[in-house]
Amino acid sequence: MRYTRVHTDVYEYQVFARKTRVDPLHQVGSVVAPDDDLAMAYARATYDEERWVEMMIVPKAAVISLWAPGGDS
Amino acid sequence: MGAGWRQLSLYSLVKSLADNKQLLGMRYAEWCIAAPTLEADIAAAAMGLDDIGHSRVLYGSLRELGTPDGAVDDAENYANVPYLDRPWTEWAEFVAANAVLDNAFTLMIEALANGNVEVLRSRLKKMLQEERYHTLHGRSWMHEVNTGPALARAWRESLEWIGPENGDVDELHRGGQLVHGVRDLRRLLEERLEGQAAPTALEWGSWEPIRRRTRAGGIDQATLEMLQGLAEKRYMPASG
Repeated sequence: MRYTRVHTDVYEYQVFARKTRVDPLHQVGSVVAPDDDLAMAYARATYDEERWVEMMIVPKAAVISLWAPGGDS
Repeated sequence: MGAGWRQLSLYSLVKSLADNKQLLGMRYAEWCIAAPTLEADIAAAAMGLDDIGHSRVLYGSLRELGTPDGAVDDAENYANVPYLDRPWTEWAEFVAANAVLDNAFTLMIEALANGNVEVLRSRLKKMLQEERYHTLHGRSWMHEVNTGPALARAWRESLEWIGPENGDVDELHRGGQLVHGVRDLRRLLEERLEGQAAPTALEWGSWEPIRRRTRAGGIDQATLEMLQGLAEKRYMPASG
C-alpha cells in the first residue's frame, strides 16, 4: 500500500511542561502534526524523558506575539 | 462450544495479554526508523517501550493468579494473535494494529484493573494513562491512511482474542474478576473505531482457548528467543 512520506496539511504545536507544581510552565519544544490527537501523542512520546507533573500543547497559530527579536519595538 | 472454554484460569488470559503486549511492543519498535515521519518514528519507539514495560508488569503478576492451563515456555504456547506472528511490511498494518489490537488489549486491561483481583487493581491503572496516547495516535493515523484489509484482519483477530460469548471471559466477568464481559468489550471496541464496519460471522470451530486464536501457526523460535532474552546470551562472556 502506498503512502506519502509526510501529511498534506500539518500544524506546529508548542509544547509546555513543568516539573513541580510551583514551577511555571515553560516551553520544552514543539511538534508538527495534522491534528490535536496526533500532536498530543507526539508531544508525549518526544518530551516524556523528564518527570513532568504537567504538560500541555498550544497550536502555534493561537499564540499572539507582542514582540520578538528583530522586531520594531 | 466446549465446556473447557469456561474453565480457563485468569492466569491464561493475563498470560496471553502479556505475550501480546510484549510482541506488540517489539513490532512497534521495529518501525522506529521506518515510519512515515520523524515524529511517528519516535512515537513508535515510545509505544514499543510502553508495551514491553506493560508486559513485564503483567508477567510479574502471574504468580498471584493461579496456575497455567498448559505449557508456557515454548513458541507453540506463546499466546499471541496471528496478526503479530510476523513483522509488518506496510505502515497501514502498524496503524491497524495501533488502532484496533492495542485498543482491544487496553479494554481488557481496563476490565482487569477495575475487577476484584487486588494485584491487578493495584498494578494496571498506570498502563491506562499511557495507553491513552496510543489510542490518540492510532485514531489520528486512521484518518490519514487507508487501512482496508489490515483493519478488517486486526478487528477480526481482536474479537477472536476477546473470545466467544459464554466462554472464559464471561465466566470471569460473572465472578467479578473482569468488569466487562464479551459483549461489553466488543461494543467498547466498536465505539473506539468510530463507525468502521465490524466483522460479522465469527467462526469458533478452530478456536484455541489458551492461545485465543483460530489460525494455526505462531512466532518462530528465533523470535521467541529474542523476546525471552535468550538471544542476548550469545553475547555474554564465557564463564570460566
